[in-house]
Amino acid sequence: MSDAVTPFTKAAELALAARREIISMTSTAKASHVASALSVVDILSVLYTGAANISPANMGAADRDIVILSKGHSASALYSVLALQGFFPMDWLAQYCNNDAPLGGHVTSKGVPGVELSTGSLGHGLPYGLGIAMSRKKSGAKGRVFVVMSDGECDEGTTWESAMIANHHELDNLVVIVDRNKIQSLTFTEDTLRLEPFADKWIAFGWQTQTISGHGYSLLAESLSTQTGPKCIIADTTKGKGVDFMENSVLWHYKPPTAEDVAKAFEQLSESY
Amino acid sequence: MRDTFVATLLEVAKKDKNIILMTGDLGYGVLDTFERELPDQFINSGVNEQAMMGMAAGYASTGKRVFVYSIGNFPTLRCLEQIRNDVCLMNNPVVIVSVGAGYAYGSQGYTHHALEDIAVLRALPNMEVIVPADPAETAELTTIIIASKKPTYLRLGKSGEPTIHTTRPKPTHGKINEITPGTSGTLIFAGSVGTVAVAAANALAAQGISVAVASMPYISTIDIDYLEKALRIGPVIVIEEHSYRGGVGAAVLEATNAANLHGAIGLIAADQNNLSQIGDQSFLRTANGINVDNIIAKFNALKVM
Repeated sequence: MSDAVTPFTKAAELALAARREIISMTSTAKASHVASALSVVDILSVLYTGAANISPANMGAADRDIVILSKGHSASALYSVLALQGFFPMDWLAQYCNNDAPLGGHVTSKGVPGVELSTGSLGHGLPYGLGIAMSRKKSGAKGRVFVVMSDGECDEGTTWESAMIANHHELDNLVVIVDRNKIQSLTFTEDTLRLEPFADKWIAFGWQTQTISGHGYSLLAESLSTQTGPKCIIADTTKGKGVDFMENSVLWHYKPPTAEDVAKAFEQLSESY
Repeated sequence: MRDTFVATLLEVAKKDKNIILMTGDLGYGVLDTFERELPDQFINSGVNEQAMMGMAAGYASTGKRVFVYSIGNFPTLRCLEQIRNDVCLMNNPVVIVSVGAGYAYGSQGYTHHALEDIAVLRALPNMEVIVPADPAETAELTTIIIASKKPTYLRLGKSGEPTIHTTRPKPTHGKINEITPGTSGTLIFAGSVGTVAVAAANALAAQGISVAVASMPYISTIDIDYLEKALRIGPVIVIEEHSYRGGVGAAVLEATNAANLHGAIGLIAADQNNLSQIGDQSFLRTANGINVDNIIAKFNALKVM
């Protein structure tokens, strides 16, 4: 594992490095959710290379942007990106899920620089981010709040309660990014509990809504640059993105990669990126 | 009790912009003055306790002291996981204020009876559970809560509760407040049900038996020193307007057991034999076993032992 002395400035490079870390750490820890992490890592890489005003240097600033990863099962993606950007030591990643280690299987905030909220139960990140955004709006404080959610998570009622509240209070400092990978715990979202017409739902709730690729770095960054009200980016993604045998498969929501899987995955990453 | 709470909060909030009052669309005629005078510190979230509690936690994480106000089960059981993860785990300074403790909304039916809230809230790490006896104690405890940064559950009655304290109470963290002394035993209560404890003490006095009456507003931190002294005098009866399961009496039993204290401790709590029974607060207390006769019977049974 290399030391990240200099933070990445290009999302594509950060995401590639993070993909390697995600695959390694989930394999070492024999942890689940590698495919969920691979689907969201490009979104996080865009946020942590400038789309969000957050870095180790301004972490304590009251006007920093806040990023909340509400789909806490993708913890390995957030931890990898934060470590690579210098928020905490890289060697923490190798201890992922170990006894008494700082990084738990679901997003843990205590003692982990850069993590704003512990998550793991779905539907908590948006209300929490909404509260921060509302406090800032009411007190005239600067800084936006980005909540990254899963599509399956939108089954939770708090999503739509929060969507109503944010619209009513005209929160122009709150952004939801949905990792629309179309697979949830047991099967496809549309076979579990139909989300479509998904964008229309957010539009009907009064959100500025845009559907774009969740793996296109510059378009994603551009879509996050402005807003005049609560904004929802539906990021169209592929679960397990970047490793063909993990893509679009429910199996990889759970299966930890073996050493052989890791070798095959690394080969693909070096070829395709 | 609720009017005393809101009036106390308003006075401090006028000087402290960091105090925020949120409601889940309840408090008609109670919160109006606060909203009118401090609109920037008041939020009616709508009927959405789960999102509201998560929002309160996020709001509090920005350095605010957020009070979330609603009736009994709504800001507690309805949004329990938000309290557990977003308030307690993150240790955010949210104060949950419920009104209508026990059978205060008696005739409104079981959905509005708050009888399991203490058990559930006191099970949560980092949560301070506080149950004032009367308006005087409510005012003092509200002031203490405002100054604290702990996640807190403040369980209030409704309105028109009589004052039980005979002198101005001076509550201290984790302490039991004795109202009248006694020589043969102690009746400890939490909340406005203290009127029943006082009535039982008077009835025992008429039989020539002197018992102390004491309010126990702190449920998460138990006053072991007081209990040790009380158990040396005679039986201790713990009276609450709540289920037996996990309530105030259970908290006392756990704490005395952990402290290796021995003695006769009796519990008076709600039987809950008929969840659909309708009636006013006094009727439902009596029907569920929270009454003077039961307190005396329990005391006498333990006195013999």
